[in-house]
Formats: sequence, C-alpha cells, structure tokens
Amino acid sequence: MGSQPVYDVIVVGSGAAGGIACHVLATKGLKVLCLEAGRRIESGKDFHTHTFPYGWTYRGSGKPGEYGRLPQGMGWKINEWTDHLYTIPDEDPYALAPGAKFTWTRMRVLGGRTNCWGRGTDRFGPLDFKAKSLQDGWGEDWPITYDDVAPYYDAVEQFIGVSGSLEGVYNTPSGRHLLPTFNPRCGEWLIKKGAAKLGIKVRPKPLAVLSKPHNGRPACHYCGGCNWGCMVGARYGSVDSVFPHLEGLPNFTLRTNAAVHTVLMDPATGKARGVTYIDAENKQEYEAHGKTVVLAASMAESIRILFNSRNRDFPTGLANTSGTLGRYLTEHVAFNSIGGFFPQLAGRPTTNDDGPGESALYIPRYNYGHKDTKKYLRGWRFDFYTGCGMGPGPGADLPGFGSAYKKKIKELYPAAFSIGGYGEGLAFDWNYVEIDPDGLRDRLGIPQVRFHTNAEYPQAFAIRDEMYAQMEEIMKASGAEVFPYKKEAPYPLGSVTHESGGARMGDDPKTSVLDKWNRCHDVKNVIVADAACFVTHPEKQTTHTIMSLAYRACDHLAEEFRGGQV
Amino acid sequence: MQEHLIGRRHALKYFGLLSASAAGREFLEGWLPRGSRLQAAPAPAMAGLVQVTDVEPSPSPADTESPYVPRFFKPDEFRTVGILAEMIIPSDDKPGAQEAKVANYIDFVVFSAAEFEPSLQKQWIDGLALLNELSGRKYGNAFSDISPTQREELLTEMSVPEHDPNAKHPGFPFYGLLKGMTLEAFFTSKAGLIDFLEYKGLTFLTNFPGCTHPEHQV
Repeated sequence: MGSQPVYDVIVVGSGAAGGIACHVLATKGLKVLCLEAGRRIESGKDFHTHTFPYGWTYRGSGKPGEYGRLPQGMGWKINEWTDHLYTIPDEDPYALAPGAKFTWTRMRVLGGRTNCWGRGTDRFGPLDFKAKSLQDGWGEDWPITYDDVAPYYDAVEQFIGVSGSLEGVYNTPSGRHLLPTFNPRCGEWLIKKGAAKLGIKVRPKPLAVLSKPHNGRPACHYCGGCNWGCMVGARYGSVDSVFPHLEGLPNFTLRTNAAVHTVLMDPATGKARGVTYIDAENKQEYEAHGKTVVLAASMAESIRILFNSRNRDFPTGLANTSGTLGRYLTEHVAFNSIGGFFPQLAGRPTTNDDGPGESALYIPRYNYGHKDTKKYLRGWRFDFYTGCGMGPGPGADLPGFGSAYKKKIKELYPAAFSIGGYGEGLAFDWNYVEIDPDGLRDRLGIPQVRFHTNAEYPQAFAIRDEMYAQMEEIMKASGAEVFPYKKEAPYPLGSVTHESGGARMGDDPKTSVLDKWNRCHDVKNVIVADAACFVTHPEKQTTHTIMSLAYRACDHLAEEFRGGQV
Repeated sequence: MQEHLIGRRHALKYFGLLSASAAGREFLEGWLPRGSRLQAAPAPAMAGLVQVTDVEPSPSPADTESPYVPRFFKPDEFRTVGILAEMIIPSDDKPGAQEAKVANYIDFVVFSAAEFEPSLQKQWIDGLALLNELSGRKYGNAFSDISPTQREELLTEMSVPEHDPNAKHPGFPFYGLLKGMTLEAFFTSKAGLIDFLEYKGLTFLTNFPGCTHPEHQV
C-alpha cells in the first residue's frame, strides 16, 4: 500500500468534537482525512423540520412497537421525523451488565449528534475545572484551568454563533462575542419574577441558535422544530457550519460510511500510524495512514476504539497503562420534571410560543457556598418550558372526560409550564464501560461495548431531593399551580445525552488516560477530543466544552506540526 | 404577533422575492414543506427550487381515505370505539373526536400493531368485550345499545380510580387505554391541534416577539 496517502491528521467522527477538529486543522493547512461511520446527509433533504404530526402515517410516533423498547430519555428522540438518523437500540444493540442501565444515543450520520442537539451553550466555570481543590475535596481536578480554555470558548462562540448576553453570573462565565438574546415568553417572565422573590436569578440562556445571520447561515425563523434537525442550519451543526467550508479544499478529505475499528500502531516506534476502518457498504476492512489520530467519535465510541486497539504492548486496551480507560463515567443527575400551570395565563388566546425552540431564560447554578457537604455536593441548573406547544398541555393530565374536561384542556393550554433540573453527577471508578465479555458485536462485526453504570447512588438521591424542593418553591413563588408528582429515581447515565469521562485528562499518567492537551499519555500522537476526556461534569451542558477542548487540542496539535515536533 | 407571521399561503409573495436570489433559493429549499402543493406544481416564482427526493412524509389512510374502511375492528366494535372517543372528547361547540376521525385513527393504529405490538390488539378486543359484559350486567344490553346517560354512568364508574387511588374498577385499565389513545389521536390531528387548540407554531416568523404583556414582565 505504498501509494496510499499519509495524512497529517485522521479525524475520527464528524460531530461536536470531530467537526471542530476538522475546522481547526484543515483551516490551518494540515492535510486532514475525516472518517465518519455514518452516511452523508443534507439538512434540506434529510430533516423534516416542518412536518406536522398529521403529516406522518403514525402521527410521528411510528408503527406501534417498531422502535422496540427504548431506554429512558430516548423515547422523545426517535420518531418518524428522525428514525432515519438515529441508531435504534434493538436493531444494533449494546450490552449492559446485570442490573446496569445506560442510555446510549447514537446518530451515525455526518454531523453526528450535532444534528439534533439541545443547543444550550453554557461554559464551564473556574470552580468546575478545580472542583476538588476549590469546592469540596471530592474527586479529581482537571489538569487545566478555566483561563486555559477561555480563549477557545471565545473562538468556538465566534465560529458557531451563540445568542446570549454578558451576564456576570458567578462561575457561569459569559462570552464576549454574542448575538442578541431571544425574547422570553409570558411564563418565563413570571418565573423570573417569582424566583427574584427568593433571591434566585433567572438569566438569558446562551443558545447556539442564530438570532442574526452568521457565517453564511440564516437566522432562526422560530418554527420550533429544532429537535428534528434544522433544515436551514440556523442552529449550529457541523453539516451546515463546517463541511461546506472544507469540502473542495485540497488538504481536506471526507469519507463517510467508514466505521473506525482500531488505531493502527507502528510496533517499531510505539506510535500510531493510522486507523483501520470498515466500509459500512461493502463490510470490508481498510487502512488509512496518518501522522496523528484524533478520536472524536463520541465518549463511548472513542473508548471502544481504544479498547479494540489492544495489542501486545497494551493488552488491556490502547493507552490504558493506568487501568482507568473506560472508568469514571459520569452524567447529570436528572429525573422527571414537574409540571402544572399559571392561573394568571389560563384562558388566554393561543399565542405562538415556539420561538427559538428552547427557552429564552433559565436558572444557572446559584447554590454556592452551602456548607452541608455531607448532604450533597456541587449544584444544579434549572430549565423550564412554558406556553402553547405542539401538544394539549397540562389539562390533558387531569382526571375526567367529556365537554368540561375538553374545555379545561383548552383553558390551561396557554398556561402550561414544566421545570426540570440538571444536577452535577459524580465520577466514580465503578461506573465504567468495557468491551462486552460475552462477545457482542455491532452490525459491522466490531466488538461492542458493555456498560456497568448505575446512576442511583446516595449523592444523586440527595441532590435530587434538594432540587425537587427548590423547583416547587420557585414555581409556587411564581404563582404557579404545581401538579402532584412522584419522585422518580435518578435517570440512567446517558439519558440526558451528556455522558462523559472514561479517558479522563490528568497530569499523572498513573491515574488518567490523557494529558492536558488531550493526548494519550502512552501514545502521544493519539488525541481523544470528545467528552471521554472530561474529569468532572458540572451542571452546565456538555457540547460547548467538548467543542472548546477539541479546538484547544487541535490548535496545539497544529502548533506542534508547525514547530516540526510531529 | 400576527404581523410577524407569514402564513404558508401568504408566503407565496415572500417566496417570490426570496427565490430571486441564490441565498434566498437556498433558504427556501430548506424551509419549504416538502410534498406540499407548492412544489408538486411549481409556480413560476418557485422555478429555482430543487425537488427533494428523500423519503417523504405521508399521512395516514385514517385521515385520507374517504370513506374509511376499518382494518381491525368489526362493525359493532368500530361503532363502539366511535361512541367512546366522542365521549372522551365530544364534538361540541368546538371540533371533537368526530371531526378528528379519532375512531379511524385508533382502528388504523391497532391494526398496525400486528407486527411489533400485537398485545395492543388483545387489549382492545378484551377491553371492548369487558365493556359489553359490564354494560350487560348492569343494564342488560351491549354498550352500543344502552342510553347515553347509562353510557356516561358506566364510563364514570370505570374512571373513578383516576382521581381516587384507593378505588378499584375492572374497567379502569381499558378506560386508561381508551383515554390515552383518544387524546393522542385527537391532539395529533389537524382538527385537534389547529382547529381546537389553535396552535400557531411550526411556521415562519421574521421576528419572535415573545411575551407582549407588560403586566407579566419584570
């Protein structure tokens, strides 16, 4: 295969991390090959953003039972709008250890999960990178500080376009290059007023949705169909924001339907020399050669590739001399939202409350300095949804039937609210993922993962109870009528699609997989650029930090190339 | 808010302006509802648009077939389903189960459950049989043959555990199934979502004003 090209960098994956990696590396002139496991899609053709439920044969829900049993948190994602984008678990299963639960959302198409993501773009704050030393002594610090990442948060925000405002919220930093905020709906104002009575601040929610045209993409047109993929690319997604600018460059190659199986090592040097991948169409295995490999395939997929790359030098998985590969998985503490209605808004005429899809406002973490660390650690944020949506709203949940019941539904329709919280989950070594010891393989024949994860640990229940109490208090202070609810156990890891960890960064190669530049301690020319690198996961959303760390790691890699160190 | 809203019909003029520029065409290609009449029979203003070829949404025969021929329920069962749906969401001064063709849709979904969820078919068969049994025991007749007042009485009895967790009724599981599927069928229909709730979204706005009531704002 002497005639095969040797790329400077092979980027594995095209989603949040892979898209940014390609953008940074290719625009800096490096010769980049991007391998995406899924097919190529186009926003205008593959998204059904503007189809009403009654446009679908089964009103959007799919033929009864056709998606099998979906784990917690996946039911709302997979439907007739999106079933051609997501991997349906029953059709290509992953393994769970006895008693374990994990919700693994896979979107094997160009752009990965940036096609249907939540769009919230909080930055992590200074205390989040040093939670052990600056908050409560629990767990591990990141090997980097907020100041190390801040310039890359800036760069990502400028590139992707974020609507928000400079707010000065303690430990929830705002960017400096933001597009205008979106206007709040009636209920959002009411919550803001209510929370203010409790001394809790409600702020504009930074969103990767364009309030003005940006970098060649149009502004949001407020259809509210974001969760089905945006046909015009008004929210950030690498399909519209990255690849149109790179394809056609002589130094950039994109290959879809290329599922990476292993990192290909050079036994002489101990360095990676490329990857092996399986062509999803002909099922044949191929090699691609590169001077460096950037794994950006998503937390679980990148870890799977490292495990599947085990060899005589790394018998338990590539770059796993620490024994921590696959361990310290974490995700938000999440559970059922609580709902009800605002009597102040009942009976009003219907308004178009779709807006930018998401809420314009939210409640960032505010519980700093609480002393009772025996009770719970860290903090939470609250998101809320209000107004007229594409469903009957709170009235339908009431008992009864007939004309009076129907009138009540209509009366409460504009008055709906629900509020949900995301608490910081903790990273334990016993929450881990490995290659399935029973030999499960995916549909391409690649050994599949097995999750050993349990979200129901005492700290999760403790923070959950604090959050329920606070949510109720805030809603009552806002004048809302809260419906009775049952406290549910914390949802499985992955149910918020914010799974992270498993190849954490650290200064000590004995306790971490990656160094502070996302390079494997053991194999310096392999970078893991996705959420597998996370040491902790605060209450903020995941994607902005994935992108910013990928930006930082690739910026550094490009510098190394320029300095001739690669 | 109305001034910011461009309805699909009124959008034609706007489309005409937009499609004059390349950027506008690109935008429209994204925004236009696929399979809509606009694209099936392109007006001159639509000339720059590209017909997309991906799998298109297609509505259920429960909505499009006229008259609808039930696929699953026998005639007396289908009539009962219609009566029941109408009891949950009546057609009163506003559109209800009848306008939304809820019975058609339930029939179509239960029929379609054969492949992956046959238990749904059994739940309906058993539920309807139980309903007739309860009705026969209480009133000496099948559910479809008792008076509207008696039907109301029976369904109310079946629903009691909904607001009294200590109460039990053998018909409650079927009441839950019926109510759930009626609500789903009604509120995902055009009659339920647009005509009854007057949902105004999933459309194109040039500006999103949000709340326009000073009394709500801080």
